[in-house]
Amino acid sequence: MMSKTPQARSAGLRYVFPVLAGKLARFATRLRGGGSAFPGYLTNRLAPTLLPTLADQFGYGVVFVLGSNGKTTTTHMISEVLRAHGLRVFTNPTGANLPQGVTSALLADATLTGRIRADVAVLEVDEGYAADLADQLSPAVILSLNVQVDQLYRFYETERVADMMLEASKRANAHVVVNRDDPYLSKIDVDAMPAPVTFFGVAPEIVAAAAHGLANAADTRSGNAGIQARDAYAEVRSVQGRDIDVHVGGVDTQVRLPARGLHYAADAAAALAVASHVLGGAFSADSAADGFARMAPAYGRGEVIPLRGDPAGEQVEFVMFKNAPSLQMNLDALDGTPEHSLIAIDEGTPDVSWLYDVDFDALQSVDVVTGEKAYQLALALEHAGVRIGTVEPDMEKAVALMREFPKTTAGRQTWFVNYELMMIGRRILGHGDQEVARR
Amino acid sequence: MTATVRIAQLYPATLGFTGDRGNVRALRVRLEHAGATVEFFPVAIGDELPDGLDIIIIGNGPLSAIRSVHTDLLARGDSIRAFAASGGALLAIGAGAELLSRGITTLDGELIEGLGVFDLDVVRTRDRKVGYIVVDTSVGTVLGFEDHASEWTFSDPTLGFGRVVSGRGSFAVSATAGETARGELVRAGNAFASNVQGPLLPLNPNLVREILTAVLARRELVLDLDRNVESLDSHAAGARATIEALVHGKGFNTIQL
Ligand SMILES: [Zn+2]
Repeated sequence: MMSKTPQARSAGLRYVFPVLAGKLARFATRLRGGGSAFPGYLTNRLAPTLLPTLADQFGYGVVFVLGSNGKTTTTHMISEVLRAHGLRVFTNPTGANLPQGVTSALLADATLTGRIRADVAVLEVDEGYAADLADQLSPAVILSLNVQVDQLYRFYETERVADMMLEASKRANAHVVVNRDDPYLSKIDVDAMPAPVTFFGVAPEIVAAAAHGLANAADTRSGNAGIQARDAYAEVRSVQGRDIDVHVGGVDTQVRLPARGLHYAADAAAALAVASHVLGGAFSADSAADGFARMAPAYGRGEVIPLRGDPAGEQVEFVMFKNAPSLQMNLDALDGTPEHSLIAIDEGTPDVSWLYDVDFDALQSVDVVTGEKAYQLALALEHAGVRIGTVEPDMEKAVALMREFPKTTAGRQTWFVNYELMMIGRRILGHGDQEVARR
Repeated sequence: MTATVRIAQLYPATLGFTGDRGNVRALRVRLEHAGATVEFFPVAIGDELPDGLDIIIIGNGPLSAIRSVHTDLLARGDSIRAFAASGGALLAIGAGAELLSRGITTLDGELIEGLGVFDLDVVRTRDRKVGYIVVDTSVGTVLGFEDHASEWTFSDPTLGFGRVVSGRGSFAVSATAGETARGELVRAGNAFASNVQGPLLPLNPNLVREILTAVLARRELVLDLDRNVESLDSHAAGARATIEALVHGKGFNTIQL
């Protein structure tokens, strides 16, 4: 348990110049509509000790969220649960999970004298940089969600990703939290971790009943492809649509997920385990439920947007995916075959070999296949036996085609999209310019 | 009377990392469209290799997967070599190709023995080759995505099946004026090995046709491989055109890590 009390001590005048320079650079890059890495870089150069000093001021510490899938969602869940308990939470914007992005976001939140105003930081961090960033920020809790086959062009061997997460976990000073249902993570060497290790998971009978389980990568290294049995501190005990029951350290906690899907249930168990550790005895099941209830549906995770601009008219549900496991988990969570659907991938995903690893049985047919990779996607769908209406690489034209369909009885179309095309799709539907930030 | 074609995929759960199931599907769907019945056998560690196979597929995976199937595969050496020597069709991708080479030298200098179906040696390299690849072959342009850290060497130049037009490729080939060019895909009888994923066969109908023609000839079967393939061919053509446009248009062929 974390027992540090919130404190608010200033980092001092010597940081005024670096912080100011960073903030000005951030302001300038925003005016140009550019990226956010440079301000962080600049400030790090001007005051290399600033980052540890900022991190040290969070009374409840810093939480790292690592994992192949679900970092953004889980970071949001932890943040909202902690806010519902009255904490001021600092978190990095979606996708800004590289060191410079984290620094930049911290700077934006700090006062000119380098003072931090929040009680706790919940940060999603790219696995490849987690250990280095942990050396700077000394996280109290490091959560590792899962190891899934992803970004092979970057990491090549999936077990390397597991090693990165576990190596980073050695730097947690209060708690290491890992997925009991992940073949690699379940085999964590507990004795090698300076901080105590706790596990979260989904009850075995629920995993067994799911078409593809939790889609975590098989362990090809140890000789045991499956998981090592572990007791879960936080365990999902029942799932009824979006309503789930999680036992958290003996506390029965009922929460409503932002969207359907067993992967979200696992993320929720992880978030509750972390929140329970951060809050210690102050953790309450009711407040946790409030936190989940306050979660606005994030982009592409249960959010609906009017198809033809009419809020009372037909809606589009965006289902976001980035790789085979996330697409599979979302397909498995479908409540029947969508009446009308669109699927889209752009060039942000250069190698789409993994599409052939997905079971599309839940889909049967797709009305419009779109994005730069529309034909590769259509080819994979056709090989999987899915009927295809139209292949239209241009998203704008694809949206026009979707608008021509008669209204569905459910009042909702389902669009499966990768991140970039979700943003483009939102813009075409007239929901473009909100910044992608959690709050 | 319908023709029955038997396909086995070795270690699909362990060596099936880069959509290798797609290669099986491409063969299967085109055989079925031509009127054949397809029997498919996934072969895991300890499973018996079925008799009377027409096609063997072995796919890609990490080094740890190579190690995990190694003993089991070595024990099947005679039957797989005999299958290939008898003109059986075989496709090996990535780690599967490495396992069917004479051996793999890892970055640590360790030699992992291979089956020797292909008379080539594999050396793992620090240099990673990642990006779209376009290859000129006797059956037309073969394209896809390469993502590997290996270099293949062999002494018999007739083993090389393709010359790289764009991308990095798996081996060096001799070129005019003492320059070296790059090559990709090897062929020994009707056995093919490559580092091209995407997966390879759905994107390359000509290569599927070459393999299936060999399968039918070996069995003295007659099937119309052009039957009912318009949609598959047109989606493949669209995918190929997109990749060609990316490679030649934006100068994009290697991902900067
Ligand atoms: Zn929020």
